[in-house]
Amino acid sequence: MKAARRVMMFLVAFALVAAGWELYKVLGPEEGGKLLGWQVLPRTAGSAMPHSWDIVRRLFQPERPGASRDAWRLVLAGAWFTFRLAMVGFLVGAVVGVALAVAMARYGIVRRGLLPYLAVSQTIPLIALAPIVVSWSDKLHPFGHDLPKWTTVSLMSAFLAFFPAAVGTLRGLTSLPEVADELLRSYAATWRKTLIRVRFPAAVPSMAPAFRLAASASVIGAIVAEISTGLAGGIGRLVLEWAGQVTSDPPKAYTAAFGAAALGLVVIGVISVLEMVLMRNRPKESTA
Amino acid sequence: MTLEAEPAAAPLAASRPAVALTGVSKTFNPGTSRAVHALADITLDVAAGEFVTLIGPSGCGKSTLLRLIANLIEPTAGAVTLGGKSAAHARADQDYGMAFQQAGLFEWRTVVRNVELPLELKGWSRGRRRERAMEMLALVKLEDFSKHHPWQLSGGMQQRVAIARALAAAPALLLMDEPFGALDEMTREHMQSELLRICTDTGTSVLFVTHSIPEAVYLSDRVVVMSPRPGRVTGEVTTDLGEDRGVESREERRFFEKVTEVREMLRGIGGATDDELAIERMRTAGVDDR
Repeated sequence: MKAARRVMMFLVAFALVAAGWELYKVLGPEEGGKLLGWQVLPRTAGSAMPHSWDIVRRLFQPERPGASRDAWRLVLAGAWFTFRLAMVGFLVGAVVGVALAVAMARYGIVRRGLLPYLAVSQTIPLIALAPIVVSWSDKLHPFGHDLPKWTTVSLMSAFLAFFPAAVGTLRGLTSLPEVADELLRSYAATWRKTLIRVRFPAAVPSMAPAFRLAASASVIGAIVAEISTGLAGGIGRLVLEWAGQVTSDPPKAYTAAFGAAALGLVVIGVISVLEMVLMRNRPKESTA
Repeated sequence: MTLEAEPAAAPLAASRPAVALTGVSKTFNPGTSRAVHALADITLDVAAGEFVTLIGPSGCGKSTLLRLIANLIEPTAGAVTLGGKSAAHARADQDYGMAFQQAGLFEWRTVVRNVELPLELKGWSRGRRRERAMEMLALVKLEDFSKHHPWQLSGGMQQRVAIARALAAAPALLLMDEPFGALDEMTREHMQSELLRICTDTGTSVLFVTHSIPEAVYLSDRVVVMSPRPGRVTGEVTTDLGEDRGVESREERRFFEKVTEVREMLRGIGGATDDELAIERMRTAGVDDR
């Protein structure tokens, strides 16, 4: 019931955005608005803002004139390719994040020493990191094989995903109420035992939203990494390529962006389903 | 670990006090400007099977004393033994069970799995701990709710689950810190009778902390009155209400006499009220409240 309402709300919001887009196209100035010589309002001409239905229609037209495949097939193929890279990144990021969180929850000195660096790590732009990671992966030849190029993309995706996972898990692991903490100490149980039986289950409510963030970060990371390493085959490359055709074929550029956004939503949806399964035995009011 | 030698003879253990405190003091942040003398020179015994209540104004260190016995904090001076063992040893052996004002149940576990938790951490097998947990739930009359989750129960029921959990490992001693403090009066009186029944049935010794004078008198064999800053024992009232206390016991003259006795003893120490404590806290924090 609640899920159905959520889907409804999503569709309504989607329709509202489309309506807003069309409304602005009707009311907004054709060549954009200027204030003190600055372009502040976007142009509404078809080349900049195609009609929303033109974007949808473009999905079902051949990718280029005369091509055998429709645009949506390429968008879907690209999204699937990126989805797999992002999932590898997400899983690696989640494992690393949780491992770091456990170490930080267990040892105060690790937390105090590491946490500032983790925060700083997220201020490094991915684009600055890309050439370094690529040059590293070129030099690594595990078991005599070259690293496939996609591993660098997944690695950078993991680099974005691990941070929310680590912070959310740490918060969950250390947020045990005092009563619970005293009880566990009164049981004289080892930390490892309480970690698995009590601390992780208690951390689920703060881990779930953190993992949703990590999942969307992993998708963004994968897309940006695809673009900055020049890896072909994914939705990131498609966004870049088709954006280059924006003057000749404006709706096409938007179909790729549309695919990238949809991919993020699907990934968040998958995590949300997982979350619902994990949270099924909890009091209902705490779910956001 | 303790000053006295540990005799090997087991039969002696039964005659040993459930709790023995000798000259126990506790100072938080010792040697700093924020040093707080929480407890000074406490000497107190709880006999095996005895029900002892600690009562006193806020800040008299009742809860601190309970945590010292539970080995959750260490005393600054003095010796704490439980059934002849050091506090640390007793904690490792789960010789005591604990219950607090909040039930402290884990929301993702069913009622029966909450009761099982201490046994699970102790390494009991699945079948054995389930059987024991169901026994304990029967004791608190909640066996029909074993598959529920804590948040589906009322506050009083949650507190009963917490008591069942505290008793699961069959401890010789129960340490209870205002366990009925958050319950309404009706539920509270019912829970008090239930607790007495359970303790009589199981022969468990209890050290109970409360703010309520009638609760202390009704439950206890002995009420220990404490005074604040630093916390110390100022007096004792032996209730002699008899084993089979029932609803009528609360209306007997003897009960009222004992309540009056405890009340006067508390008045005698001139303990601070919560308001006075709050004002003093502001003063020490440098806030002028004139």
